[in-house]
Amino acid sequence: MDRRTVIKNLALIIGGAALLPACSQDKAKSKVALKNIDITADQEQLIGDVAETIIPKTTTPGAKDLQLHLFVLKMLDDCYKKEDQQAFVTGMGHFADQSKKLYSKTFDQLDAKTREAFLLDIEQEGKAEEAAAQKNGDKKDAAPATIPAGKYSPELKKFYSIVKRQTINGYTNSKYFMTNIVVYELVPGRYNAHFPYKQNKQYK
Amino acid sequence: MSANTYDAIVIGSGISGGWAAKELTQKGLKTIMLERGRNIEHIKDYVNATKDPWEFPHRGGRTQKMIDDYPVLKRDYPLNETNLDYWASDKDSPYTEIKRFDWFRGYHVGGRSLMWGRQSYRWADVDFEANLKDGIAVDWPIRYKDIAPWYSYAEQFAGISGNKDGLPILPDGDFMPPMEMNVVEKDVSKRLKEFYKEARHMIIGRTANITVPHNNRTNCQYRNKCWLGCPFGAYFSTQSATLPAAMATGNLTVRPWSIVTKILYDKDTKKAKGVEVLDAETNKTYEYFAKIVFVNASTINSAWILMNSATDVWEGGLGSSSGELGHNLMDHHLNVSAYGRIEGYEDKYYFGRRANGFYIPRYRNLNGEKRDYIRGFGYQGSASREGWSRDIAELNIGGAFKDALTEPGSWHIGMGAFGETLPYHDNKVTIDKTKKDKWGLPVVAIDAELKANELKMRIDMEKDGKEMLEAIGAKEVQTSSTNPFLGRGIHEMGTARMGRDPKTSVLNQWNQVWDAKNVFVTDGSCMTSAACQNPSLTYMALTARAANYAVDALKKGEI
Repeated sequence: MDRRTVIKNLALIIGGAALLPACSQDKAKSKVALKNIDITADQEQLIGDVAETIIPKTTTPGAKDLQLHLFVLKMLDDCYKKEDQQAFVTGMGHFADQSKKLYSKTFDQLDAKTREAFLLDIEQEGKAEEAAAQKNGDKKDAAPATIPAGKYSPELKKFYSIVKRQTINGYTNSKYFMTNIVVYELVPGRYNAHFPYKQNKQYK
Repeated sequence: MSANTYDAIVIGSGISGGWAAKELTQKGLKTIMLERGRNIEHIKDYVNATKDPWEFPHRGGRTQKMIDDYPVLKRDYPLNETNLDYWASDKDSPYTEIKRFDWFRGYHVGGRSLMWGRQSYRWADVDFEANLKDGIAVDWPIRYKDIAPWYSYAEQFAGISGNKDGLPILPDGDFMPPMEMNVVEKDVSKRLKEFYKEARHMIIGRTANITVPHNNRTNCQYRNKCWLGCPFGAYFSTQSATLPAAMATGNLTVRPWSIVTKILYDKDTKKAKGVEVLDAETNKTYEYFAKIVFVNASTINSAWILMNSATDVWEGGLGSSSGELGHNLMDHHLNVSAYGRIEGYEDKYYFGRRANGFYIPRYRNLNGEKRDYIRGFGYQGSASREGWSRDIAELNIGGAFKDALTEPGSWHIGMGAFGETLPYHDNKVTIDKTKKDKWGLPVVAIDAELKANELKMRIDMEKDGKEMLEAIGAKEVQTSSTNPFLGRGIHEMGTARMGRDPKTSVLNQWNQVWDAKNVFVTDGSCMTSAACQNPSLTYMALTARAANYAVDALKKGEI
């Protein structure tokens, strides 16, 4: 299948005209029509790689198959404030730089394991900051806990958190997920108040 | 009869206007229902009702453009992509906030009956007697026994599902079979009852969603998409219930795009002779005439119409002779909630999206208890299993995370309180002549706030929420108490209150304006106090009761 057919088929899977990428072969520009932000094809690829690390292709389609990175951009373009959009773009630059600085490679050159480790490290730092902020909020009079000096800029963390949030939003609300994975019924027709359920795994 | 002359005029087409139209037309009156906004045709115009979630470009969220376009609606959940067209434009219809008041409106046929929360509770004598006992505001001119048969009448037609719980604070009604609590809610309900020795109860919500077929309407399909409009007609709305009944009589004319600017008052007969209408599409003015006028434009707009009417006789407008028109604005105060995790039940789930939750009726200041505030509050909530948003330690990305997203998380329970707001003369709406809407009409100014009684009550609302959730065994209980402002309950009431004395009230016990006996006001503006239950069922009952009285009085030549 050539690229265009793939996109067409995927557009059918995803549904929603808004996600239809323009059928342009222009390599420099993002495939999704954006009004408020300027994203190059390379940047789009980076967002796709990050999204794919969050929701990888396994036995079922991953973020790229489902074009979730284009959904991320659509949401960024329409639903975020200007300052968040700017932070996203700046943070995306920091992210690319940090990859080179920490791993001496661009993100797309990293193997899947290293990509995961990179993203989890960003999450860890974000969580540590949140915990410190919470502590300070709880004990207003006590000496503030020091927020550890981080490797990642606030913009980078903003970039990552938007990509993650919207990748998951796009995934769990995609037609693929809602018709194949956790089946959504438009008209359930009944309420079963006590439905036996066997959990596959405990995620705690 | 000239083309613009009818037996009755109904201003507004929401819950109470629809009821007025149904009752008046069924009793043989040629009636015109005037609606300020566009028509929304049942089923056909519910354009998003059968869309799948992935068909919404932003998955139901809000865009920056929507946020810019709706400076008031954006303050809370109503601003969303799925039913944006059902909410009035803040820009076309601005208003002045002397104090913050979140006014969320529906300007179209059906009004907010299309988007309402559908919880339907009777009031009890404790509510109707409250003002008298507390010595505040004025006494209700009616008691439970006066409205009880009309509650039954309204319930039987609207279709209210609920359980007969036998609680004096929340009288049972003529219910359809109740919806079911899920397995956790059932257990929690038992624990609550035991812990508080039957002084507090958690019951299944009583809701205007039908659970069995009724009047050509299909029973609830558990989609929980009510506020998009229901293609099954499974919840009560003007479109699903009162409008078809009224149309079936052949006596109803509906005129959308009709902004009523004033009631035409005849000084000689001391009655209204009709209304003046501004056509919202053409900006032309028309007059309609009738023997009786029902005012059902919603609490704040009904007050606005009355204040604009008969100003040559009363400076403050029709019904202002008491000095109470536009005053005593009430709402239910909310934004106080509690949330916690329920351990266990991992092998239990539920199926279907129940458009309903549980209800904890008021328990404060009853049976001799005296808090440092008067009246009380109830809670609405539900127990459910969390979805993907839960945090999964060490598994936040990658293939295992992707798998985890398909599994439900642990059980949680959450509930929010609805508190009674007292009628304060200071809490009022007036006309702001300095600001005009899209049609050049002066807008309302709203000047209302929570006062000491409500603010003290909110402390209990938060504290009790936490205590109850901990008592039933919830873990990691969190509470939140934010935005102590009025409006967000979307239960505006009180601007033309009923009473026993024309000197202190706008309406009598039949919802008649003291100063114009053929004008009836039966929306939320007639309410003398607010109780803490959702009020719409009471509007339905009062409207049917008033319409019955009006037609009788008309036949007897009394009005």
